[in-house]
Amino acid sequence: MSDLAPDPVSCMDADFEHNTKANAARRRFLQRIGVMGVSALTASSLPMNVSRGGSLLAADIGSSAASDEPVSGVSSERRWGLLIDTSKCSAGCDACVRGCHEEHGIGVSGNDHTDAQWIRKIDLEDNDSGETMSLPVMCQHCETAPCVDVCPTGASFKRADGVVLVNKHTCIGCRYCMLACPYKARSYIHEPVTDQLSRAPRGKGTVESCTLCVHRIDDGQNLQPACAVACRKDAHSAIVFGDLNNPDSEISKSIREHDAKQVRADLQLNTAVRYTGL
Amino acid sequence: MTNTIKFVLLLLGLSFTWVSLSGERGPVIPQGKGEVCVADTDFMRRNHMDLLVHQGDDTVIRGLREGPFSMADCVDCHVRHDDQGKPIRIDAEGEFCSTCHEYVAVSIDCFTCHAAVPDAKEPGSAHNNDHESDKNHRHRLAEQP
Repeated sequence: MSDLAPDPVSCMDADFEHNTKANAARRRFLQRIGVMGVSALTASSLPMNVSRGGSLLAADIGSSAASDEPVSGVSSERRWGLLIDTSKCSAGCDACVRGCHEEHGIGVSGNDHTDAQWIRKIDLEDNDSGETMSLPVMCQHCETAPCVDVCPTGASFKRADGVVLVNKHTCIGCRYCMLACPYKARSYIHEPVTDQLSRAPRGKGTVESCTLCVHRIDDGQNLQPACAVACRKDAHSAIVFGDLNNPDSEISKSIREHDAKQVRADLQLNTAVRYTGL
Repeated sequence: MTNTIKFVLLLLGLSFTWVSLSGERGPVIPQGKGEVCVADTDFMRRNHMDLLVHQGDDTVIRGLREGPFSMADCVDCHVRHDDQGKPIRIDAEGEFCSTCHEYVAVSIDCFTCHAAVPDAKEPGSAHNNDHESDKNHRHRLAEQP
């Protein structure tokens, strides 16, 4: 009798084996479909990606001139930053602020509560020693930027080269980023703006801050932000701009040499703007 | 009775003639600079908004500023100047953008932020030099069959 009765254990084994085989076959089938799908997708998308960096529409209308151009744009190989030497920065001088305003067409109405401030010039005095210090504070272009974290629409973002920007096309003006920024670096545009410059679009209802003069960076020829140029023109040369990722760049060497500090380093935001003499 | 019908028919005929003779259909859009636009007029009419949005993203996010569909280039070609040679805002009444946009009743939001006139010329500035190269680029594009 016992020989005829099915062994429950071996029966289960058989079922299990059958299921495993079926599953394996099913898995192989799905994998094959997947591979075919991926290769089909790659094949169809490859010519478009090659034809033009990022701009598919240009390829659509058959502009072969565009397809000959090398793919350019921002790259994470570089990280742009500023080094500010507070010993060279003099109190009462606002050349960098004026340079910035001129570059971006920022008008000054005289109302400090609402005027945009991309750079704030700060004078400090130690109450005990009486020692004074002056320094410009702008967007610090944090690696882990709080403004990017809190933005509900993704308008506040960090470019691949580390520049933190507001995409005004998607900014809804909620000003959450302004609350999150520990450096008070951002401004809201309260009034309608006219007479903008084509290199610096800005309008009411959006938030803005220092862009490290991205339009100059992207041009690739005039590679110094307006504040640094203005500072040098005023014979201070307190602002150095450069690539933090390149250990041989002037800015990286100076940072190592002078042991440059971050403002509020305790927040561990790894800012791209560093200060010496703090 | 017959006279009334004749009069009505006459009125109808006249009005039909008037409509067909005065028949500018659609808005009269000011002509831009140069021979051709960066793409066919029909294509631009239907797609300029997508092209601008696409290039806007390219510029802001990816730092690609060399594309042919930049807002600044549109303004540069299509802006008109008043008697004193001062540029008139491209979204002003009767100008390039607003003529069509008013006709189709679509409001434009571009120029609350973007410059509606070309930048004032600063002799020898880097931006103007770039602008020249942009123009060359545009002409190259226009020469494509």
